[in-house]
Amino acid sequence: MRYLLRRLGHALLLLVGVSVLTFLFTALAPGTYFDEMRMNPQIAPETVAALRAQYGLDKPLPLRYLSWLSSLLHGEMGFSFAYNSSVAPLLLVRARNTLLLTITSTLLAWMVALPLGIWSAERAGRLPDRLLSWGTALLLVIPDLALALGLLVFSVRSGWFPTGGMASVGFEALSPFNKLRDLALHMILPVMALVLSTLPLLVRHVRAAVADVLNAPFLLAALGHGIPKRTLLYRYALPAAANPLISLFGFSIGVLLSGSLLIEVVMSWPGLGPLLLEAILSRDLYVVIGGILFSTFFLVGGNLLADLLLYLADPRIRTESSAR
Amino acid sequence: MSTRRTFAKWLVALGVLHGIVVCAGFFAPYDPVEQDRKSPYLPPTRLHLVDANGHIHVRPFAYSVRLREGSFDQYEEDTTEPHPVKFFLNGARYGLLGFLPCRMHFFGAEDTRIYLLGTDAYGRDQFSRFLFGGQVSLLAGLLGAGLTLLLGLCFGAVAGYYGGWRDSVLMRFAELFLALPWLYLLFALRAFLPLVVGPLEAFFLIIAVIGAVGWARPGRLVRGVVLSAKERDFVRAARGFGASNGYLLRRHILPETSSVLLTQAAILIPQYVLAEMTLSFLGLGVPEPASSWGNLLSSLQQYSVLVSYWWMYLPALIMVPFFLGYLGLASSLQERGEAYKIEMSSLGGLT
Amino acid sequence: MQPLLKVENLLKRYAKGSLTGAGEELLALDSVSFTIFPGTTLAVVGESGSGKSTLASCLACLESPTTGNIWFEGKDIVKLGERARREVRQQIQLMFQDPASSLNPRWSVFEILVEPLILQRKFKHEEMKQRANSLLERVGLSPDIVEQLPTELSGGQRQRLAIARALALEPKLLILDEALSALDCSIQAQIANLLMELQSSLGMTYLFITHDLAMAAYLADEIAVMNRGRIVEQGPAEKILKQPQHETTLRLLAAVPRITRATRPAVEQ
Repeated sequence: MRYLLRRLGHALLLLVGVSVLTFLFTALAPGTYFDEMRMNPQIAPETVAALRAQYGLDKPLPLRYLSWLSSLLHGEMGFSFAYNSSVAPLLLVRARNTLLLTITSTLLAWMVALPLGIWSAERAGRLPDRLLSWGTALLLVIPDLALALGLLVFSVRSGWFPTGGMASVGFEALSPFNKLRDLALHMILPVMALVLSTLPLLVRHVRAAVADVLNAPFLLAALGHGIPKRTLLYRYALPAAANPLISLFGFSIGVLLSGSLLIEVVMSWPGLGPLLLEAILSRDLYVVIGGILFSTFFLVGGNLLADLLLYLADPRIRTESSAR
Repeated sequence: MSTRRTFAKWLVALGVLHGIVVCAGFFAPYDPVEQDRKSPYLPPTRLHLVDANGHIHVRPFAYSVRLREGSFDQYEEDTTEPHPVKFFLNGARYGLLGFLPCRMHFFGAEDTRIYLLGTDAYGRDQFSRFLFGGQVSLLAGLLGAGLTLLLGLCFGAVAGYYGGWRDSVLMRFAELFLALPWLYLLFALRAFLPLVVGPLEAFFLIIAVIGAVGWARPGRLVRGVVLSAKERDFVRAARGFGASNGYLLRRHILPETSSVLLTQAAILIPQYVLAEMTLSFLGLGVPEPASSWGNLLSSLQQYSVLVSYWWMYLPALIMVPFFLGYLGLASSLQERGEAYKIEMSSLGGLT
Repeated sequence: MQPLLKVENLLKRYAKGSLTGAGEELLALDSVSFTIFPGTTLAVVGESGSGKSTLASCLACLESPTTGNIWFEGKDIVKLGERARREVRQQIQLMFQDPASSLNPRWSVFEILVEPLILQRKFKHEEMKQRANSLLERVGLSPDIVEQLPTELSGGQRQRLAIARALALEPKLLILDEALSALDCSIQAQIANLLMELQSSLGMTYLFITHDLAMAAYLADEIAVMNRGRIVEQGPAEKILKQPQHETTLRLLAAVPRITRATRPAVEQ
């Protein structure tokens, strides 16, 4: 139990550290959102100064951080200059869109990778395994950018799927069933892109983890005792291979918010990625910080989840930590 | 050792590919910045073996192309005169390896242009731009990886060798960096530096940015190696002979890190090439008129290009062999080390 | 005769700190005292964890004792400054148990041999080659192996190389930390004989650390038995073996395998 509390405290410290780093970093960057306004001769400098004071941009740095931190604890994440609205709801909507994509594709990828990896590991070294290895290698070496663009080109040439965006024009007027259908159609391409980009490495890792265990002496001993192969696989091998897989799973959770940035931008999916990119380009300070912190929260959370699962799944960790 | 031979094979293959890119001036038929406003968005030149009269030619040849009557982007071939493909002919001036003045090109044709990958909106040869762009992207990846490994080596060595508070501080710092989404950090870092810079400054800027962001993982690996090497008996023996810390690090401990660094290099270089590509694609990297693999593809962000000019996608496919080479290299190195344990760092690459 | 090495009340305490504040303390050496005269061999015998290796580290100046004195040729080396310590380091050399790990596997035999010479900066480049060859001959190795890597040598050859390296600076005291334990039995005998021969020809003094009482019996003039950081019994080798007093000594003696028919248990019919 103390182990978990320690990991939690560690994670919180990490988040605080990240928030400080990000804040420092963005606040110290040359240029602010108001620079463009300042250069516009039609806007009086007093107006700009007044706006800046309104957003509290003229206060010293530590004060700004503390006031941001206190508002964070109230659920407020600052104000977006570009969108002229509060940051938190903006982020939440975009994050929801991103999660729609990433959760679907992560589930799909794992559902394909697990059986495929296990199947391949059972036939390690033989032809099916080698073919799979080559297949994943080929997929691996195609850059994400190329995959996404390729799918776009395909969709445009075939006309089967809407090219980009999340909803068609006139979405609001559709019946609930058609709304779902429209959403699904829009989702197909980005989800495919995401799955294709994450699948090969996932399959490789699963295969490696299971193959390692299948070679272990304790498994050979069990085989020698006459235990049937199915039981061997599910009750002996997989639990032993669980550790790296759990870490992998934690990592998959961790990148739910940040892993799809490129694909979202290329396919015009209104997720967190494009928002962050725009915010960075227009120096929209609080959106950037909020977005980065949000994604980091997921990353750290994913690791923590993996730690928790490992603690529950691996008795060695429990005894090790209690022995301290 | 067969893994040694595999490694050598991949290295040679990569070397050939890089060699072609290094000698881009020779292999590219035309100057990458040369515009031909009369032939925007030309599809790839078709090479024929049989001409309009049914004769079979030994050399492949091309027809010159002209705008079709009544359209502004449809082209048709002028089948009156076949222009055979010639090798080792003289063309535009360029500097081999950057300084040797040269005029010989690997292939081309007289009186007409062979656009292997078509042209872009300004009539520039995409194939030439691909080769020259490769110089930028690959070099950015190499230099960026070099910077990261250097930083990782320094920090890892200090943390591992001296231990104590130095180790704690550096490792906490590394954790912070590892907790941040890499791509976001990259963008943020890049975008918070001046956006509008010339191609050369942009190039070095992105190398610095990409290189500085990823030091944490190699640093931790180096630290691990240094920690275990520090306790080896031959290090204690050397200390018993009166060796100083500097000597021990230089002659005994750091050489142990070479295999880790090599493996990391094979993993990082393609990652960083992709990072440069992504930045340039989004307009945060190397700007026009310089070409990089990223801004070659950036025109595909326009719907009209996606619909009508599909050949603009081709560069994305012909860069794949490079990444295949690096993957093969990394795999053969990792097989030499630990059997088949692919690191988390290569997961997805850009997260 | 002046003792070469005199150890007086050596104490080494390790504090295991942890973030929660409660530290454990480990007393690796507890008031250890003994004397070694030049040209003789003292064997320090004990089981794992008895503190033998800590003793070796302290004597070779790789670690500092918490309290106590170490007198080498009349000088207290614990209190020496860095410069003087370097001088002393030349005179006391340490040999390790595993010849594979005490030699850098990437270096050639030549580089390994001349390393101490380079570090002490005493020899010119031309002399090094000569020195290396003579050292190899001294330990019974052929000068042909100069370009080879340690991985190409056998266990016995590696240990001979380690001895040769230890002799490079012409030390007065050689501390052998389980130096024979990792070798095959027959090789052990060869190396032991080499060590004896070097002792008589060069006048070497040995501090031989081992868990093998039989080996100690073969090599040592004096034996000291250690248990949990303390010396529990000490004296001339003959006396310790014939009239053991402490239970640790008895235990160690009983553990030595004796090949005689009489001691084999009768097989129950």
